[in-house]
Amino acid sequence: MNDHPHSHEEAPGLTAPADTPVDVGSQALSEALRSSFAIIRFLMILLVVIFFASGFFTVGPAQRAIILRFGKPVGDGEKALLGPGKLHWSLPYPIDECVKVNITGIQTVESKAGWYAQTPEERLSGVETPVMAGSPLNPAVDGYALTADNNVIHTRATLTYRINEPIRYVFNFVNASNAVQNALDDALLWSASQFKVDDVLTRDVAGYQESVRRRAVQLIGKQELGITVEQCAVQSIRPRQLKDAFDRVTTAEQERGKVLNDARSYENQVTNRASADAQSLINLAQTERSQMVKDMAAQAERFQDILPQYQRQPSLFVQQRLSETLGRVLTNVQDKIFVAESKDGKPRELRLLFNRELVKRAP
Amino acid sequence: MKRNPLTLVVGVLLIIIFGLWLFVFQVRTTEVAVVTTFGNPTRPLTEPGPYLKWPWPIQKVWLFDKRVQNFEDKLTEGLTRDSFNLLTTVYVGWKISDPASFFPKFVSSENPIGEAERQLERLLGNAKSAVIGRHRLSDFISTTDSGTNFVAIENEILATLQTQVRANNYGLEIEFLGIKRLQLPPNVSQSVFDRMTSERKVLADQLQYEGEADAQKIRSDAERKAQEMLAGAQGEATGIKGQGEAEAAKSLSVFQQNPALASFLFRLNALEGSLKDRSILVFDQNTPPFDLFRGGSTNWLGGQK
Repeated sequence: MNDHPHSHEEAPGLTAPADTPVDVGSQALSEALRSSFAIIRFLMILLVVIFFASGFFTVGPAQRAIILRFGKPVGDGEKALLGPGKLHWSLPYPIDECVKVNITGIQTVESKAGWYAQTPEERLSGVETPVMAGSPLNPAVDGYALTADNNVIHTRATLTYRINEPIRYVFNFVNASNAVQNALDDALLWSASQFKVDDVLTRDVAGYQESVRRRAVQLIGKQELGITVEQCAVQSIRPRQLKDAFDRVTTAEQERGKVLNDARSYENQVTNRASADAQSLINLAQTERSQMVKDMAAQAERFQDILPQYQRQPSLFVQQRLSETLGRVLTNVQDKIFVAESKDGKPRELRLLFNRELVKRAP
Repeated sequence: MKRNPLTLVVGVLLIIIFGLWLFVFQVRTTEVAVVTTFGNPTRPLTEPGPYLKWPWPIQKVWLFDKRVQNFEDKLTEGLTRDSFNLLTTVYVGWKISDPASFFPKFVSSENPIGEAERQLERLLGNAKSAVIGRHRLSDFISTTDSGTNFVAIENEILATLQTQVRANNYGLEIEFLGIKRLQLPPNVSQSVFDRMTSERKVLADQLQYEGEADAQKIRSDAERKAQEMLAGAQGEATGIKGQGEAEAAKSLSVFQQNPALASFLFRLNALEGSLKDRSILVFDQNTPPFDLFRGGSTNWLGGQK
């Protein structure tokens, strides 16, 4: 391009006027005109080049681009989306316009409409300034939700989503993420109004979370935001002002568990002991039974053996047996007291003082 | 002066571009436009594309964003049918649908969108208090209706707002609407706190008593069960002993051969058994073998006779 002005200066047509006899002034004017034309021409060409070159663009890995030709997207649906890895070209504005959309990155919105007011420092550090038990909620700053049993809870949610219809997401909404957040606020409020306070906080946390997610997905679908919900995490707590009251219930619950466990272990102990005792009773009875049977059988056998001896001399046998047994028995007896018959045949009075030990062992 | 053809082309191109810039404008897919001729709206445009116009100052183009705008009102108080004060914030998704109607109403403002939202807030306030006044608190919060009343309230506010927006001919369209905050005035929330505290107390006491009662029940059940087991075992043991006695009784026929001897032997056994332990025996001389004490051997022999 830079060649052009030079070639013109050397062209015979342009140098010709210099040969004609004109005054120095007009010659200078024509020189000035000529050089300014050259500059203008150069600028014009430069403008045209810039005009067309400005249409080249690339798309980042997490982006898609859409070309608007006279305001309308070029191509339909998926075809309108230009991906990365290529050099794209569009006509310059105002014919074409290139809109880039972040797509593959996961977007996050957080709903805090149901959470109490926190300073940014508190949020970052996670340290809470304690709240007086009696201090009221300020509706202007402290968000909360009402539960089905008319209790107050704080509840918040974080929802992550992916844009799957970028055209809709960008061209239909001024601020689509704001709309997502509103839907999430609504979902929290709606779900809280369906659950009792204990279900939200402890008994059915998962059910509540699922309800929030379902409602948010439903609202987002209805509003045609062009996104897919990835995750929805919900957190709920009792009002900070009522910490003590709620803690007391938790303690009572734990106490109850402990009392019940104690009772169950007592139950185990008692029934185990009873079952062991019962078994030993039965075993004892079994033993006694076999003992009794054997005993009787043995006695019967012995009786059978001695019956002939007895029949031979019954009286002598009895005397002999009696004496023998008494002898054996009397060696075992510790205290033997013999009381002779009084001469006059009157009965005698006998006093015995049993020592204590004996009384003790009597039963 | 002789012109170079390239110069000519470039010049013409620049003129075309300048002409386009002067006479042509485009409406994007996200916009609607109104063309005014000497300040008078003459052409509303809702479809995207390139359009022709006369250059300023004859015609002027006003472009408005037609995408869905998010708007939420301030927390406002409304009385339910059963006289509860409720503070609500509602979010609204709205957009400009008819530029011809929108333009004359809002163009005079610095910020037409903001002005439109101010109007919406006014209408929304009316719609909210009207709808909330028709419902009870239990319609907002309930375990039993699976949220249908809540949704119905949202839809009623939406319908009321839509009717009013249409009646005012603002050229707006309400896309969606929902409640995003539902709260109580501070004095009411304080009494809710008091109620919640007493409910917690009742719950804690209930848990405690229930726990104790259940534990007591478990204990007494266990004791009863243990008693039953022992009683059953006792019964079984008695049965077993009975069986033993029955079996033993079979041997009794042997003793039938001589009942006198049998009785003597049983008594001997009993005597021996009863005197096995430490015992004191008091006897006189009539008891054999102590009858020996009574006299000499002759006497004894005589006594035998």
